Amino acid sequence: MDIAVQVDGRQVEASVRPRMVLSDFLRCHSGALGVHIGCGQGVCGACTVVMDGVPVRACTILAVQADQATVQTVASQALLEGFTGEGLTPLQAAFREHHALQCGFCTPGLLVATSVFLRDNQSPTHEEILAHLNHHLCRCTGYANIIAAITSVLP
Amino acid sequence: MTPAAFQYARPQTVAEALALLRPGAQILAGGQTLVPLLVKRAVRPDLVIDLNRVVGLSDIEVTSSHVKMGALVRLEQARLSPAVGAELAVLTAALVHVANPVIRQRGTVVGNLVANTQGAELPAIAAALGAELLISFQDGRTSRQHVGERIPADAMATHVLWPRQGGACGFKEVSRRDEHGVVVCAAVSHGPGGLSVGVWGVCASGLACPQLALLLTSSFPGVPELSDLAATLARDVAGRELHDDGHASATYRLAMGAEMVRQAAFAMAGCR
Repeated sequence: MDIAVQVDGRQVEASVRPRMVLSDFLRCHSGALGVHIGCGQGVCGACTVVMDGVPVRACTILAVQADQATVQTVASQALLEGFTGEGLTPLQAAFREHHALQCGFCTPGLLVATSVFLRDNQSPTHEEILAHLNHHLCRCTGYANIIAAITSVLP
Repeated sequence: MTPAAFQYARPQTVAEALALLRPGAQILAGGQTLVPLLVKRAVRPDLVIDLNRVVGLSDIEVTSSHVKMGALVRLEQARLSPAVGAELAVLTAALVHVANPVIRQRGTVVGNLVANTQGAELPAIAAALGAELLISFQDGRTSRQHVGERIPADAMATHVLWPRQGGACGFKEVSRRDEHGVVVCAAVSHGPGGLSVGVWGVCASGLACPQLALLLTSSFPGVPELSDLAATLARDVAGRELHDDGHASATYRLAMGAEMVRQAAFAMAGCR
């Protein structure tokens, strides 16, 4: 089936089988290697992307369902944060500053999801940040540094 | 992981979707239950009918007696709906516990009820309130059925009808951790039709508990002793097969079912 998806501002047209999931499409057909595939079942959060403005798990959506959609991955992080400067975005810089990543596998999904989380809730409580992180598996950091990084960018 | 091969159809209307139905076809709405099953090859449909572009199934409508939700109403859309908050407060309370916010953006209320998965909260609410699925058949007939009843191969659920509640409610659950793997949950709601109680996780499917409803009504707004609740719950489940798996024994589920009803009743008393 022929589909056309706008990925990180680029129009990607491809012929895919219906059984291909969006996370595979993004990696294999549009070169969006920032989409990490973890559990493949919508649990770990590593493949989180923004589709038509809404955060989704790319592994629980068929590529054919994204036909004519706009998808933003971690490559659009500056856009997702509304950041127009040069270099790292505020959230990326905070992650580096606070050592909020080690192997980095969960990081793209965390950055994308957190930018939307902070877009919708600009002053989250500590409990709300914990609840947000409840849906992203990170096996390295123990989460403390991720919480510190997110807290540091709050107004 | 990649699903087994299937054909894919993307109808624009309910009539087109119904015309595509045949044995081996599978309806896809939110896909948050179905796609993980597809990639694990736990299900192998030969046709997937994607409802996501069907017009007119995304509305939440309040009628004189019901809150009517189309098959594409997302879980998060329902959770944030002021109409649902006013008329079905127990559903709003429960939706916080369903999956996680990202999954709730895609997953649908009707899909959740049709899947009727172990560990889903909404079937307990549906059982408690007597919610019904609106079923459309290929030959043009429509009917209503309760959650858990099998949907015929030539039919699909287009809406869910929740009896309007208003009033007070409570929802409590015990899970392995927040928003994951509910073991037992209970919903109590005090609507125009009286008090209703639903429990999930004690039996194999959501369970309406009329005996518990009578007991809670007799002591309302007080809350009965736990021992009385446990004895009454045992009467409500009499004759049914108790659920017992690696996560919790039947004995534990029965005990926690009574405790969750007690906590939900306290929550309901608190929001009167």
